[in-house]
Amino acid sequence: MSALAAAAPWLQPALVVALAFRVAAGAPDAPWLALAALVAPLVALLADARPPARNPVTAVVAAVTVTLVLAADLLVVADAATLLGAPRWQGAALAALAAFALAAWPRARRLSPPALAVAAVALLLGPAAIALALGAPWTAWHRSGARPALTFSERSPWVLGGERFARATTLRFAEGQRVVTLAAGVYRVVERDAATPTVREWRLTAGDALTLRPGDELSVEAGAHVRFEAGRRVPGAPASGVEWADAPARGPRLLPVALGALVTMLGGALALVPPARRGRAAAAGPLVLLAATTAALAWGVYAAGVPDLVLGGALPAPLLRLPTAALGARAGVPLALLTGGALLLLLAAAAVALRERLAAAASAAPELWAGIVVAATAIAVWPIDPWRVLTLALGLAAAGWAPARLATSPVGALAGPIVGGVAFVALAALPALAPGAPAWLEALARYPALVALPLGWLAARAMPPDGERVAPGG
Amino acid sequence: MAGPRGRRLGIAALLVLLAVAPVLALAPAAPGAVRVAGVSLLWWYAALAAPLAATSLAVVLLVRDAD
Repeated sequence: MSALAAAAPWLQPALVVALAFRVAAGAPDAPWLALAALVAPLVALLADARPPARNPVTAVVAAVTVTLVLAADLLVVADAATLLGAPRWQGAALAALAAFALAAWPRARRLSPPALAVAAVALLLGPAAIALALGAPWTAWHRSGARPALTFSERSPWVLGGERFARATTLRFAEGQRVVTLAAGVYRVVERDAATPTVREWRLTAGDALTLRPGDELSVEAGAHVRFEAGRRVPGAPASGVEWADAPARGPRLLPVALGALVTMLGGALALVPPARRGRAAAAGPLVLLAATTAALAWGVYAAGVPDLVLGGALPAPLLRLPTAALGARAGVPLALLTGGALLLLLAAAAVALRERLAAAASAAPELWAGIVVAATAIAVWPIDPWRVLTLALGLAAAGWAPARLATSPVGALAGPIVGGVAFVALAALPALAPGAPAWLEALARYPALVALPLGWLAARAMPPDGERVAPGG
Repeated sequence: MAGPRGRRLGIAALLVLLAVAPVLALAPAAPGAVRVAGVSLLWWYAALAAPLAATSLAVVLLVRDAD
């Protein structure tokens, strides 16, 4: 397999848009996640090309992983549908049909690597065009990092016609704000101006207004349609440009979470990215990975200049809404269409690659692929965070699939995934099983692969090599 | 030819490149927050220096390792 084809299962649209979103939002983990998104697949491309194992455990883990990764991608398309004012299910169902048909098309396997390269280059065109108008990304970063406050502009869609929230969320208000509801729904306000917080729940209709004071929290349902006041701080956004640039949460206490994220990404890449052919053509794999992650970073940095782009929680918003916000409708709409097309191309290449990985680790039966697409679509109809679903998939792959690649015997290739998989499930269920668990366990619940991958790796290596090569196929 | 030893060293170098980012971000006194030409050291490293170094290393190893 070429390095470019091997990189395809990694470059999921959900990964690209999530990176851009986290950079734009000023997430504390954005810098190392962006670097891990590039380095993890490079490690997997360079790792030993030992024939991987194929056994019932890795087959089940591979099927669940592929379902979750595809679901994360479909959730992104569902978010995009929300941005266009369409129901979530329409976006998810259309994308699922396309993913099913493309992955079943025999010629798609040959066309998928060049499509991936085209998509990565197309994703870079947007930031390049915006750079002509706004300056280089480092200039934009400096400008965003120097803002005294992150406020709604007078031309913001949240101010003019209102916008919808992609998923249920709670907004914290740093200053007073009058919020006008544009769709009927339940709005929950927590007032914190007294020693005991007061909770009020309102059932409002279109045109009703809520007056919120500093410190108040507003909980909205997925799909809630509201309008804000211009010039006011964006609720939930960093307090200033300095906070966006240097998130106050960054500190030694975040180390377990950072390690968990890195282990999850590395293990997920070892499972998803197969060994590739060496040679001059292999340079295309790392170069396309660099192009895609650089594009995601650049989109995120430019989108940070429009802080309300991430308010609704729709992951593709920085890529699909920024062109119009930065360049106006005339230049922005074609650029947004080009970027949307690039994301769909990325989805097509990713679907083909995921089916290949599934065929190698489990089965090439069309019925299995059809079942996975149906299950992924069913997940994508719900307003779940695609990033959470993607990290769950990568963590499961790291714990229950990667140990098979690191094993030296068929028994190890079976024992490693069993131990890693069981540890992953137990740790992932920790918040539900033990709600009062100490705070330091939070990193394990968020990234169970931090412990599950090493356990799986140890179990895989502890089994004595029996001199037989593991059955090729996965 | 890079060979298995070269690949292993390359992987170790990639892991070191990756590990430096959280160290810069999370170390006491926040060295990653130091501004260089208007941008924090952490972002120069995570978005420019480390990606270029990692990609160059991977390309060299993958190309030279051909049979």
